[in-house]
Amino acid sequence: MNVPMFTLLVGIPLVSSPVVYLFGRLTTRAQVLTRQGWIVRLLALLAVAATWFPFINLWLEFQARGNRMFFNIESIWLQLDGISFLLAAMVLTLGTLAILFSGRYMAGDFGEEKYYAMLLAMIGLMIGLGCANDLFNLWVWFEAMAVSSYLLVAFYREQPGSLEAGMKYVVQSAVGSALALLGIALVLAQTGTLDMDQIRLMVGTMELNKLGLLAAGALFFIGFGVKVAMVPLHTWLPDAHSQAPSGISAMLSGVVIEAGLVAMLRALSTLTGFALSWGWLLLAFGALNMLYGNLLALQQSQVKRMLAFSSLSHIGYILMGLGIALVSGQPAGAQGAAFHLFTHMLMKGLAFLAVGAVMYALFHEQGIHRPLVAHDLNGISTRYPWVALSLSIALLALGGLPPLAGFMSKWQIFVAGFQSGNGWLMGFVIFAAVNSVISLAYYAPLVNRMYRRVTATSVKKGSDTIHWTMQLPLLLMALAVVVIGLFPSLMNWLTEPAGAALMSIFQ
Amino acid sequence: MTLFNVLIVTVACLLGVGLYGLLITRNLIKIVVVLQLLVKSVVLAFVVAGNVSGHPGIGESVAATIIVADTIVAVVALALAVQVRIRFGTLDIPKISSLRG
Repeated sequence: MNVPMFTLLVGIPLVSSPVVYLFGRLTTRAQVLTRQGWIVRLLALLAVAATWFPFINLWLEFQARGNRMFFNIESIWLQLDGISFLLAAMVLTLGTLAILFSGRYMAGDFGEEKYYAMLLAMIGLMIGLGCANDLFNLWVWFEAMAVSSYLLVAFYREQPGSLEAGMKYVVQSAVGSALALLGIALVLAQTGTLDMDQIRLMVGTMELNKLGLLAAGALFFIGFGVKVAMVPLHTWLPDAHSQAPSGISAMLSGVVIEAGLVAMLRALSTLTGFALSWGWLLLAFGALNMLYGNLLALQQSQVKRMLAFSSLSHIGYILMGLGIALVSGQPAGAQGAAFHLFTHMLMKGLAFLAVGAVMYALFHEQGIHRPLVAHDLNGISTRYPWVALSLSIALLALGGLPPLAGFMSKWQIFVAGFQSGNGWLMGFVIFAAVNSVISLAYYAPLVNRMYRRVTATSVKKGSDTIHWTMQLPLLLMALAVVVIGLFPSLMNWLTEPAGAALMSIFQ
Repeated sequence: MTLFNVLIVTVACLLGVGLYGLLITRNLIKIVVVLQLLVKSVVLAFVVAGNVSGHPGIGESVAATIIVADTIVAVVALALAVQVRIRFGTLDIPKISSLRG
C-alpha cells in the first residue's frame, strides 16, 4: 500500500518531465497541433500539483507513525524522515509557484518545453535526494539534480552571460562532485558498505582509521560545499543565479543550494564521533559566508546579483544554526536552521520572482534582454503597486525586520545560541546579529527607491499591467511571509520533525 | 611494490594531474578532458576500495554507474563549449569572462 504512494511522490515529476517535453515538441515544433504553448504549461502545472497528493498522504502516515519510514523502489531503499519532508515541502511549494509564474514569463521563448521538462525533473530529483539512505544513492540524486540545473542556468544560450555562468557552474560543480565521490570511496574502503545506518553503526563501534574518516569528512565538506556555496567555493553562485531565468533563480536560491546542504549533512552525519568538529567548522564557514555575502552585496548595482550575494549570507545563518545545534547538542538550533531554510525559501523565492515580474514588464515584453539595475526600481510602486508591495515585504523580511518571517527564524537561531550558555556561541550570535543589521543597508535603499515619486524612464516605458498568473504567486508568498512572521508556531509541524531528525542522525 | 600499492599510487597520480590540470588549463575542451581524468581516478579508487573492504561487487557496480553519470556531465559541458565557441568565437577562458563582482 505504501510503496506505490512513495513511488508517486518521486515518480510523478520524473515521469511527467519527458511527457511534457514530447507534448511540447508535438504542439510547438512539429505542428501536429497548432502552436499551443498553454498545453505544456498546463501539463507542467498539473504534474506538480498532482505531486502534492502523495506528499500529503505520506505526511499523514508519518504523523500517525511518528517515526521515519522506509520504502523501496525495486532494490533501492529510501527513507522518509523529518529532513526529507522539509525538503519535499520546500521543493513542492516553490516549484508549484515558480511553474505558475513562469507560464507567462517564459511564454513564447525558444525551447519553452525543455524548460518545464528540466524543471519538473529537478523537482523530482530533489525530493529523491532528501530521501536517500545510501551514500552512493545520495550522490546519484545529487549529480542528476545538478545536471538538470546546469541546463536551466544556461537556458538563454544566445546570451553570452548565461553561457559563461553555465560553464563556470558545470566545471566547479563537476570538480566538487568528484571530490565528494572520493570521500565516499574512502568510507567504502574502511567500512565495506554504503548504507548510511550501517556506516554510522560501524564508525561508532569499530576501531577504524580516524585519519581516513577525517579526510572523508573534509572531502564531503569541500565536495558538497561547492553546491552549498560556502565562501571560498561560491564563485559560481552570483553568476548562475543572476543569469538564469527568474523562475530558475528562485528555485536555485530557494531550494537547490539547500538540497546541497541536505546532501552534505547526510554524508557528514555518517561519520559519527566528529560531530563537534563539524559543528565548529559549520560555525566558522557560516560566519565567513555572512560577512562576505553582505560585503559584496553592498557593492552590487544589479538587483538579481545583489540577491544572489544575499543568498550567501543567508546560507551563513543556516550553517550557524546547524553549528550551534552540533556544538551545544540542543535541538533548538537545528530546528531554527530548519525554520530558516523554509523561510529563506519563501523570502528569496518571492524576491527573485518579484524582480522577475518587474524585468518582464519593463524589458522582456519589449523584447529587451538586459539586467535590472537598482535605478530601474525607482517609482515602480506607482505603476505596479502589488509587485512593489510584495518585493518590499520580501526585502524587509530578508533584512530581518521584526514582524516578518525572516526575523522569526533568525531569532530562533539566536535564542538557541544564547541558551547554550557557551561564550563562543554567544560571540557567533552577536556577530550574526551585527551582520543582519549590515544587510539592511542594501535591502532598505531598494524599498526606498520603489516608493519614490519620480519614476525612472525605463519604468515609464514598461507595459501597463502584469498578468495575474505572475501576481498571484507573489501575493500568496508575501501573505505567507507576513502570516508566518506573526504566527511562527504555524510551521512547527514541519520544522520540529526536521530538527529532531537532524539531531538524531548526528547522535 | 604490491599491486595494491601500484593502484593507490595511480589513483593519487591521476588525482594530482587532474587538480593541477584544472589550475593551468585555459581551454574549455581541455578542461572537460581534465575533469574526465579527475573522475577516472575516482572510478579507480572505488574499484580499489571495494576490493580492500572485501566487497568488490559494490565497488565495481558503483564504478560502472559513475562512468555513466560522468559521461552525461561531459556531454553537457561539451555542448556548452560548442555554444561558447559559436557565440564568443573562442574557447579561451580569459577572453570570455564578462561577469564581474
